[in-house]
Amino acid sequence: MIKISEITEVGRQVLESLFSNPLRSFLSSLGVIIGISFVITMGWLLDGMNNVLEDTINLIGEDMIYIEKFSWTGGHQWKLYEQRKDITYDQAMEFCRRIKVAQIAMPITRKGGAKLKYQSNTYNGFLTNGTKSEYGLTPAATMLDGRFFLPIEDLSSARVVVLAYNAYKTIFGETEAVGKTIKIQGYDFRIVGVIKKRGTAMMDFVDNQIFIPISVFNKMFDNSHRSFSIAIKAGNPKEMDEVREEAQGLMRIIRNIPPGKEDDFSLNETKTLESSIETFRLYVGGIGIGFTVLSFIVGIIGIVNIMFVSVTERTKEIGIRKAIGAKKISILLQFIIESTALCLVGAIVSYIVCSILFFVVASTLPGLVPSLGFLSKFIPVSFFFIASGLSIFVGIIAGFIPALRAANLDPVDALRYD
Amino acid sequence: MRISESNNGAIIHIRNIAKLYKMGTEIVHALRDVSLDIFPNEYLAIMGPSGSGKSTLMNILGCLDTPTTGIYNFKGDDVNEMTDNDLAKIRNKEIGFVFQTFNLLARATSLKNVELPLVYSGVSSSDRRERAEQTLKDVGLGDRITHKPNELSGGQRQRVAIARALVTSPSIILADEPTGNLDTKTGEDIMKLFKDLWKKGNTIILVTHEEDIARHAQRIIRLRDGLVEHDGVNPNQLLV
Ligand SMILES: Nc1ncnc2c1ncn2[C@@H]1O[C@H](COP(=O)(O)OP(=O)(O)OP(=O)(O)O)[C@@H](O)[C@H]1O
Ligand SMILES: [Mg+2]
Repeated sequence: MIKISEITEVGRQVLESLFSNPLRSFLSSLGVIIGISFVITMGWLLDGMNNVLEDTINLIGEDMIYIEKFSWTGGHQWKLYEQRKDITYDQAMEFCRRIKVAQIAMPITRKGGAKLKYQSNTYNGFLTNGTKSEYGLTPAATMLDGRFFLPIEDLSSARVVVLAYNAYKTIFGETEAVGKTIKIQGYDFRIVGVIKKRGTAMMDFVDNQIFIPISVFNKMFDNSHRSFSIAIKAGNPKEMDEVREEAQGLMRIIRNIPPGKEDDFSLNETKTLESSIETFRLYVGGIGIGFTVLSFIVGIIGIVNIMFVSVTERTKEIGIRKAIGAKKISILLQFIIESTALCLVGAIVSYIVCSILFFVVASTLPGLVPSLGFLSKFIPVSFFFIASGLSIFVGIIAGFIPALRAANLDPVDALRYD
Repeated sequence: MRISESNNGAIIHIRNIAKLYKMGTEIVHALRDVSLDIFPNEYLAIMGPSGSGKSTLMNILGCLDTPTTGIYNFKGDDVNEMTDNDLAKIRNKEIGFVFQTFNLLARATSLKNVELPLVYSGVSSSDRRERAEQTLKDVGLGDRITHKPNELSGGQRQRVAIARALVTSPSIILADEPTGNLDTKTGEDIMKLFKDLWKKGNTIILVTHEEDIARHAQRIIRLRDGLVEHDGVNPNQLLV
């Protein structure tokens, strides 16, 4: 049995020996510090990616399928997609007329750099979307003010426009936009609505858009080299399989693809993003775990070594303690707690250093490299506990053998040691 | 002529104890055949030339070491039957060690050094402090409780060590050449302290090879080559 009085004594002892030589303590726990830092870094990256993924899924909608010439995830096969035939407006419209299981389906097309003019200011940083009134029924078109354009406005090619949040803010600031008229490519358009802010740090671009009826879009812009997208809302994530199947079949019929040949279009949905992030996650995890294990091995060796040194240095002390009545378990515990404390301090050091480092990185880097916008400024607190738990585990493992040696020292031999 | 195996009130009762050390192929007989009884409030000096087995005997008496053969009963309990934990408990509660080289923890104050045995017997921190302070006062070091060993003289260090041996109120105090590292004057002061402790009822076993030191004891045992050469009352005990 171990006495309470001994535990406080061990605590005092351990602090004393850790801080009697802080440089040595630091150096010997360096491996553990690095290992823990890897774990924290990994967690931080994965956490950032999860946030992006979640944001993206919310933004797009889990029950949305986009039929497009390009795949969202096949960046490396860009050349292949480039060679596909464009999806024409007529194909897109035919698809939307014939699809049955989906709740809504509509064509959508985009053009960057259209010239916007309000009063004497011009803007050209916004993406112009041409679509159908049905777009107003998707979560992407939740209104802040006014309404989305109506079927009749699309049919009659009315010059109406809906602004996404940033477009509204940039042009109008705080003032009322609905009812005002702006010029797009020189034509007057009446603003009928403003969409709520949807973007997050990384997904900011979704707020830099404007929407006009596709009928108007087609008249204003040359569509000969444009591929249209088809947005399909399944209505219920459970019906995705059915919708996907019908959409694919229908599109193959419309595009005249003989049986046995591959699709010449892509079905994009949030699930494909998830699976591509999953691969990335595996890479990060795999590399991270590899390095982590490696540095923990080095770390454990470092701690074992320093603990053996510590036991040897304190042989006489161990003899004295035994002579006045310390039991084996007390000596064992003393050294295990010491190595655990060494590792725990290492974990705390790495958590603090990583916190500062990541805060700085996440505050500055995305400004330079926007695609790093997913990095979060804060490490989840749960990682503090994971890191601590891990370091305690490592400390016990690394401290056990040296501690056992200390506990089994013969008191007479130990007392004679100089 | 066999002496009864019962202890007859002896604290320590040993019979035919031997201790062998194997040094490669050679066997060293540190103790060959030692028997003795030690009774409460005895003041015993163990003498003998270097290598005669004094320290070995002392370590066995103090349960730091176990004999190779022979019987050892401590207060009626068979030491040979005890586990490591039992031995640690006896060292903690029943025995107070005083060493030639003091053997204090260098980084701890006098008070912490004296408290240490109480830590291992589970005394609460306030009791510990009180008892350690009182014991330090008893050995004349009431004004040195926050000093560390390197801030004390040799004699003061040995007093701290004695206080540490006394603090658990042990049945027996074992001192292996306690004056060996001290000058004559300081040594005499320490001997005076032992004398006082004996007069207060403590049982003391002292190892020395100096006749002057042994003179203080009531009984003297002389060892030679691991055997008891002489065991008897000291007719010239110095009683001052
Ligand atoms: N651990 C050991 N291994 C081998 N031999 C030992 C060991 N301890 C003691 N001895 C031997 O046992 C014998 C007795 O040693 P011990 O230390 O008991 O003598 P001592 O009477 O205390 O001598 P001194 O007066 O020099 O302290 C010596 O010959 C010594 O070499
Ligand atoms: Mg000796």
